Amino acid sequence: MITLYDYELSGNCYKLRLLMSMLGVKYKAVPVDFYPGREHKSEWFLAINPLGQLPVIEDDGLILRDAQAILVYLAARYDPSKKWYPVDDPKMLGEIGQWLAFADGITSTSSAARLHDGLFYDFDVDAARAGAHRLFRILDEHLWFGEQEGREWICSAPHPTVADIACFPYIMLSEEGGIPRQDYSAIRRWCDRVKRIDGFVVMSGVFPASPARAA
Amino acid sequence: MPEPDRSRWHPIAASHDLPFRHVYHAQLLGREFAVWRADDGYVNVWENRCLHRGVRLSIGMNDGRELKCQYHGWRYANRTAGCTYIPAHPADAPARTITNRTFPAVERYGLVWSAEEPVGEVPALAGVTEGRQLVLRGIPVNAAAEDVAERLRSYRFQPNGALDGKDAEVALEAASDTSVALRSREAGADTLAVFFVQPVDAGRSVIRGVLDDDAEGPQRIAVMRHHNRLLSKLRDEAEREAAGKPAPASIEPVYERVSAELAEMPEVTPHGRKAALRVEVARKFAAADGIAGFELRPIKGLLPTFQPGAHIDVHMPNGEIRQYSITNGPGESASYVIGVKLEPDSKGGSKCMHETVREGDVLAISEPRNNFPLRRDALKTLFIAGGIGITPLLAMAQALQNQRLAFELHYFAQNESQMAFRDRLAALGSSLRPHLGLDPAATGAELRRLLHGYEAGRQVYLCGPGPMLEAARSIAAELGWPDSSVHFEYFKNTNTIDDSSSFEVALARSVMTLQVPAGRTILEVIRENGIEMPSSCEQGACGTCLCTVIEGEPDHQDVYLNDAERRAGTKILTCVSRSKSPRLVLDL
Amino acid sequence: MTKCTDRVVLDLWHPLQAIAEMPAGRVHETVLLEERLGFARDEAGNAAVWRARPDLRADDAVDIAAVNDRLPAKVAYGYVWSSLGNPPADIFPIPEFAEPDRRRLNAATMGVNVSAPRAIENFLDMGHFPYVHTDILGAEPHTEVKEYDVEVSADRDEILATRCRFFQPMASTVSTGGADVEYVYRVPHPFCSVLYKSSPADEKRMDVIAIFIQPVDQEHIRAHMMLCVLDFDNEDKIIKRFQQTIFGQDKPILENQFPKRLPLDPRAETPIRADKSAIAYRRWLSQKGLTYGVIPAAA
Repeated sequence: MITLYDYELSGNCYKLRLLMSMLGVKYKAVPVDFYPGREHKSEWFLAINPLGQLPVIEDDGLILRDAQAILVYLAARYDPSKKWYPVDDPKMLGEIGQWLAFADGITSTSSAARLHDGLFYDFDVDAARAGAHRLFRILDEHLWFGEQEGREWICSAPHPTVADIACFPYIMLSEEGGIPRQDYSAIRRWCDRVKRIDGFVVMSGVFPASPARAA
Repeated sequence: MPEPDRSRWHPIAASHDLPFRHVYHAQLLGREFAVWRADDGYVNVWENRCLHRGVRLSIGMNDGRELKCQYHGWRYANRTAGCTYIPAHPADAPARTITNRTFPAVERYGLVWSAEEPVGEVPALAGVTEGRQLVLRGIPVNAAAEDVAERLRSYRFQPNGALDGKDAEVALEAASDTSVALRSREAGADTLAVFFVQPVDAGRSVIRGVLDDDAEGPQRIAVMRHHNRLLSKLRDEAEREAAGKPAPASIEPVYERVSAELAEMPEVTPHGRKAALRVEVARKFAAADGIAGFELRPIKGLLPTFQPGAHIDVHMPNGEIRQYSITNGPGESASYVIGVKLEPDSKGGSKCMHETVREGDVLAISEPRNNFPLRRDALKTLFIAGGIGITPLLAMAQALQNQRLAFELHYFAQNESQMAFRDRLAALGSSLRPHLGLDPAATGAELRRLLHGYEAGRQVYLCGPGPMLEAARSIAAELGWPDSSVHFEYFKNTNTIDDSSSFEVALARSVMTLQVPAGRTILEVIRENGIEMPSSCEQGACGTCLCTVIEGEPDHQDVYLNDAERRAGTKILTCVSRSKSPRLVLDL
Repeated sequence: MTKCTDRVVLDLWHPLQAIAEMPAGRVHETVLLEERLGFARDEAGNAAVWRARPDLRADDAVDIAAVNDRLPAKVAYGYVWSSLGNPPADIFPIPEFAEPDRRRLNAATMGVNVSAPRAIENFLDMGHFPYVHTDILGAEPHTEVKEYDVEVSADRDEILATRCRFFQPMASTVSTGGADVEYVYRVPHPFCSVLYKSSPADEKRMDVIAIFIQPVDQEHIRAHMMLCVLDFDNEDKIIKRFQQTIFGQDKPILENQFPKRLPLDPRAETPIRADKSAIAYRRWLSQKGLTYGVIPAAA
């Protein structure tokens, strides 16, 4: 079984819990006392991930770090429908790769602001917030035109991909870093759609959506 | 900055911002709104604050009929914003005056318009035809609305038919401090663009643009991208300029205080037997054999919030007053739908409704009153309806269905053609269990089967003819159902009222002692002495005139209280019940 | 925002940091009532607090005995406490803290964009369990807040809510079903509350969970969560994770409450019977004349 080194309040760990729940993949969570214990900087954890970062998974002898990398691995290995990470569609893989990098940008801005406000990390919070707003504007425009063109998800596939999962958590948690989403109406609607994907689970700070209207 | 003008209509969203089951977070002049479209299409614009603890309703859930607050699950109805359920107190009906602040909402030109205290109508756009317009992507700007509007006067764009050109001639057709109309012409192509700048807060705004001509297919997207690019550039410039100036202070919204009565524990407020509302019979239809359905719409404004189980008094043209349950599901707040069975021995109530009242007639009705509140904390709820007793239970079943809570609706009727409101019943799917054509003995056996195996966490609601209710209640008691889990409503009190006693009634809070002679009711006597007391059926069935007994032994003659309540002797229905002791002290 | 002029609040003891998270002999910094403070502890567990000064920066080595111009300082319940006024001799009692078989931990200290009294009021609230702590502290349809008792103890000057019960799914590790769990709430300090909850490990005793709020300013807090529980099986981090999960669920609610300061006007919001403890708390704050982090009722 997959082992997930996990911290409940981490949006990056949540990405993996979300995808595994949507894929129906069972896993064992090993809690890591990220805060206040800083266990991710402990000797035993650094032996697993010398970068001292969560999440990490162990699966079948493979040790893998980095939320986006793990999403790619899990979808490629455990999604027989090949929708979440369409390994046979180079164009789509390119799109996904582009938005996974974008998700990293969301992490380094929105997540940083949240760590500053909630857990007192010594970051330049104004820069982090401004950076997140810049990214949210780009994503909102992308999603708004997507709606006009009949596309509901971040990539051009007619179904969600790991790119949606990678971007979702730190967008949903942005208000904890003092980054309101009021100006991003298309992002807000997309968040509702993500919450209505089968197998969606919440984390602390994320509430579920109401059921969709029957067609 | 000068005091903002709160009387002017502004767009606060685009229609496409409001898909079903979504809550949009809007803001105008510092005040936040939760904006949501119900499944019936109605657009609600509410103060973005739950009245209970101030939590933003925009983080709540739109279930298509009601908006549910994320903090304590309070439910607010479509249109009225009245609270229909407070889960912390499942046995109580919330005071219907717990109503969130609403603001007007008008959908026009693909935009949703509102204002705090609007004067007049939403402005008509010269040159734009409703339904033929193209709504651009709204562009939020971190700059004051008047500065953005000023910049828009020199906005330059290409007409829809000549997007690739670059020499369009753009003329300013009209402008105000928050709007600009521009016409662009090139090579025979001609497009009118009207921009509204929504003042979100002192230093924030949204540009909402409407073009006079909806393009099609890829051309439509190209037009929208053309403006999106140009407006984004304008936004960047406006923000650069605003960043160089000191940021204006945010506009502090003033929250209205809740009414004094709500600041205390909410109690049902007293109302007399008044006809507070005038409604029009919008539709009269055959709900079943012998049952007429009436859809009642307000003459003006909105109908008050109702809860499942509530009834209204209907004042008929012949002077009679009758009580009818509201059958609506949650959030169906545009009209009330009632069902009236033609009683063979009708003294004029149901006969009048069936024979005299027609579509288009105006009737007077009371506000809805709920003496048959529905708990929603049961693991499973049984509804047992006999005949026209379906009406309150139908409303209840629809409420539980909407919340995906477990229930069964057992409907006893003579035959299928006597089952009322079949479209609503059909929507209940397999939760509906008809029992047709059973004689009293077979009905009893069926009730025994249904009520068998009581477990904690079950609730049963009964409504139907007296003999069936009596049977069901005694079977439930025999099978171990506690009184507190058995809820019932009689249509009428068929007991013979014995009003031969005379006694004294002391009103504790009013410090008054009154004599009730034979032939008069407690209700009549206290009203004559100036004490306001609500009532409805005045025959001991509906529970509206319920009152607390402090001292003395009541002589119960009603069919509203359950056996435990009768034994406790702490409540009395003042319209029919009397006193066994010479003196009765009431909490009035 | 102006700095605090509220005498009631200035004279209180305020928590600053869990002692277990402070390496000895190093300067720490924080903000209390809009004032930047420095503080440190020595190996023996004594603490010193002072107004931040340029010669003592965060992480500098410091000998606390050598620091002049100190503010009042105290170590209690595993935290350093200080005051900007004239605090009472003692901090409110939590007798259970001294029981030797209890686990005592700081579950976390977290920043929240809300006023201190809003956070305390949320801590006293049970009605939100099924909606905010879904499937952990409550679950629909078990939503009823049953009648409970609230009193303001005059001799102790604290609010006490007793006979509180709420249905909790998976109430204990031994049974699979849910059951009513009993709670007792104390508010012995305007910005601190202590919760007693039936212990799954010992049916005769109760776990203690306290929230100590450090008001950074009127609309920002640091919430310190102290656990003093009977648990003989789980690692510290498992116990902390549970509490952090719960608090993380409350956070978006608190940060979406408006106004952020707690309105003391009884007509500002709509109380119901379930809010008896909150009503008593608001009245108690009003009677104290407290103004920091609240919107006082118009006279």
